Amino acid sequence: MRRYLLYVAKRLAQFFLVVFIGISLTFFITHLTPIDPVEQMVSSMTAFGNTSPEAVKMMREALQELYGVQGNLLEQYFTYLSRILVLDFGPSLSAFPTPVSVLIERALPWTIGLLFTCTMLSWLIGNMLGGLAGYFRNSRILKVLGAVAMGFHPIPYYIIAFVLLILFGYLWPILPITGGSGQNIPQGFTFEYITSVLSHSILPALSIILVGIGGWFLGMRALVSNIVTEDYVLYAELGGVKRSRILPFYVIRNALVPQITGLAMSLGAIFNGAIIVEQVFSYPGLGRLLIGAVYSADYSLVLGVTAISIIAVSASVFLIDILYPLFDPRVQLT
Amino acid sequence: MINRRLLALLVGLVLASPALAQGTSDVPRNETLIVENPEGTIKNAGWFNIWATNAGGRSTGLQQLTMDTFWYIDPDHGLDGVWDNSLASEPPIYNADFTEMTVKLRPGLYWSDGVEFTADDVIFTINTHMNTKGLVWSAPVQLNVDSVSAPDKYTVVFKLKKPNSRFHALFTVRWNAMWMMPKHVFEGKDPLKYDFNPPVSLGSYVLHGYDPNGQWFTWEKREDWQRTSLARFGEPGPKYVTYLDPGPPDKRVIAQLNHELDIIHDTSPEGVFTLVKESPTSRGWFPGFPYGHPDPTLAQVIFNNQNPKFQDRDVRWALALALDIKQIVMAGYRGAATISAIAVPPTGTHPEFYHKPMQEWLTNFELDTGKKVIKPYDPNMGREIADMLRPSMGDQIPTDPDQIDNAFGLGWWKQDLEAATQLLERAGFTKRGSDWYMPNGERFSIKVVVEGEARPVMTRGGSMVAEQWRRFGIDATTESAQASFLTRRNGGDFETIISWSVETWGGHPDLSFFLDSWHSQFLSPPGEVQTPRNWSRYSNPDLDKIIEEIRGTAFDDPKGIELGKEFIKLAVEEMPVIPLMSYNVFTMMDQTYWTGYPNAEKDPYTDPVPNWGNSRAMMVRLKPTGK
Repeated sequence: MRRYLLYVAKRLAQFFLVVFIGISLTFFITHLTPIDPVEQMVSSMTAFGNTSPEAVKMMREALQELYGVQGNLLEQYFTYLSRILVLDFGPSLSAFPTPVSVLIERALPWTIGLLFTCTMLSWLIGNMLGGLAGYFRNSRILKVLGAVAMGFHPIPYYIIAFVLLILFGYLWPILPITGGSGQNIPQGFTFEYITSVLSHSILPALSIILVGIGGWFLGMRALVSNIVTEDYVLYAELGGVKRSRILPFYVIRNALVPQITGLAMSLGAIFNGAIIVEQVFSYPGLGRLLIGAVYSADYSLVLGVTAISIIAVSASVFLIDILYPLFDPRVQLT
Repeated sequence: MINRRLLALLVGLVLASPALAQGTSDVPRNETLIVENPEGTIKNAGWFNIWATNAGGRSTGLQQLTMDTFWYIDPDHGLDGVWDNSLASEPPIYNADFTEMTVKLRPGLYWSDGVEFTADDVIFTINTHMNTKGLVWSAPVQLNVDSVSAPDKYTVVFKLKKPNSRFHALFTVRWNAMWMMPKHVFEGKDPLKYDFNPPVSLGSYVLHGYDPNGQWFTWEKREDWQRTSLARFGEPGPKYVTYLDPGPPDKRVIAQLNHELDIIHDTSPEGVFTLVKESPTSRGWFPGFPYGHPDPTLAQVIFNNQNPKFQDRDVRWALALALDIKQIVMAGYRGAATISAIAVPPTGTHPEFYHKPMQEWLTNFELDTGKKVIKPYDPNMGREIADMLRPSMGDQIPTDPDQIDNAFGLGWWKQDLEAATQLLERAGFTKRGSDWYMPNGERFSIKVVVEGEARPVMTRGGSMVAEQWRRFGIDATTESAQASFLTRRNGGDFETIISWSVETWGGHPDLSFFLDSWHSQFLSPPGEVQTPRNWSRYSNPDLDKIIEEIRGTAFDDPKGIELGKEFIKLAVEEMPVIPLMSYNVFTMMDQTYWTGYPNAEKDPYTDPVPNWGNSRAMMVRLKPTGK
């Protein structure tokens, strides 16, 4: 047990180090980009109306003071680190003075709701079918499924998404192609709102699942195909153990270990996946928030979203690291 | 049995499909005008304090339907003339030396919560901006206003710190202007932190509902719409107006094909061609080519005049003569552009004030290349572009010469590589083989900065500019600045950039809207940020004189037009920027549910581009089709 606790402590230290390096890198990268947030705001405000050059100069100075971007880079870095300890990312520069945390809170449920559900569904369906295909290798239906999975798997996500958009948004317009819910339907636990959210999530979900299933299917089929040739499976079959017991308890259980690792990594990385899916379907989650923040040079918001992402990925890896020895006794504690 | 169930499920799905796609709500479709908000999804949807800097959305309907100020200048012809006294009952009254401006307010106007709009609101708005740093209009108010007073309930007097014959421009809507604040709502609140939710409206609509995630905002016609300034022109047609983020251009086109989006703010030329082909109810500003509305904004090749490469006028002219505008128009707008050789956009009333009267001068304009004298202007370039497109576009191209002039513009510079060569040689450049070298012996290279995917037509046009310079022997390349575009443009971090430094009122001939900022007093040294809009960082004592004379001339004085022409002549002679074409916005309007949209051929009563504050004029002209 002591050895295990030492192992956890080491992994915890590694976790904090990774988070610190990741967040620091993000800070310096965002602050070294050639985009000046004050200049973006000033340009946006003066893009159309009548504003004299003297007034613009004055406006620029006022905004620098208001946004607190006057100190040098190191001063801003240490202020940022002290704030982040209490998960305070400061005010958003492009939605000033609203705190970044409020914007993230608003977007996070959409990303988690869509991406978490889809990742879990892809994993479950892909592994289930892959396991069956690996075990019942002569089944025609499962062979066809394997071919379909192999066909979908290499197609880039956005191609599938655009095909779905054209199919169900234009040729047979039965599903909404943009947004998280319908217009003029107030947010709340009402039947109209919930069905609207569900109908808006069908196409983005379908596009994620169609592409996602393939990888899990192929991986699981390969793992199971190997395991079924192991001696202990053969002995079980010869010993008269029922197939309905062999498949879940002798085969799938052993094949699942690497797939669980993959799942944890996928869950941690759902924020990365959010960027494309949310852009394509104008889905109101963290990915859209991040893209908007990058374009408006709102580095408070960029840092907020990326910090959440870094923490999530690192936490997933940390959890896998500390749980793995409990699942798999072959893992050496070093 | 299974087949029957499957069939029933499919039938149910088909029957329910429109509801699935559109959802259900308490806002009837046939009473709602659905409009694209080009701001996209609003991060901070519950924020309606438009006076705080970029804190929330602006063209969500907020500025078009609920805000008001003293005057509007229409970018086209206006409901009742270009100038509209909105909250003011008459134009501004200046004293002789432009140090005082009096505004007479229109009585009988009310906020949506029943409180009357009076001079108290104006005084409060001005004082709030004088006392608060960082509001959108704090700086111009603090720079200009010495004091403000209200001799009576409907009169406001501004005393200015220095003479300013254009002070009223601060309160004159061209896209936006300084909007009035409701004193009774904002009093006692921090104007930088108060969200103004729900907004109290001075316009004809009030907030009906909005998406907390910022994708849509719906406004409902006020029951007392008669007590707003727009009521002078009649009752607004739509009971509801929804502004939404329909997604990227392809989705906007799909939404309009499905009649779920009445007004597309802007899409690609290809999107327009699809709509014209597939949707008989969709139309643009022009009935045929070029469809889009020419914004009072001029797309240009902007030289960084502080860069030694471009400080010789001969070089700038040589680069202009190396261009073939027809190819640029085809590359950028697929032909759907309105060209301009002069530094004023060919839109609104400008062709009547500037382009047509100057045709003769331009046609006779002579350029001495050192070896010969040429007349570089081709007055029929617009018609030549129309002829070039006619074989492929057929009856989409007008045949009436006046219509062609309005749609495609008048003339432009003839591509003349021989003259361009002579000009470069006179400037000390040499050609070795097919490559140009600068007087210092280095290869003549030019980077053309373009915005990238956010503005595809300008990017494609810029790529063609670089391509033509390359063919002429210059090492020209394009550089896509993407999100850093504005920072680079403002900071002078470019050699040439495809953007605009000329923007006008559109409907009114006064050019001070952009020209005042071209005075050398505002020029930043190289490496420092330039204030809008002299992105070309050009200065000239003759230009300063013109600007100073405009400053001393009243806004409506016809002398202003003559001074405008002087500027145009100077800009032609000096070529500090190469004007290309107006920035055409491909606004597409679906007539399935609504008719009465503004259009170029019969009723150009306003700019259809729906994020403009001026687009409120559409509301009183739109009528339901009865569908």
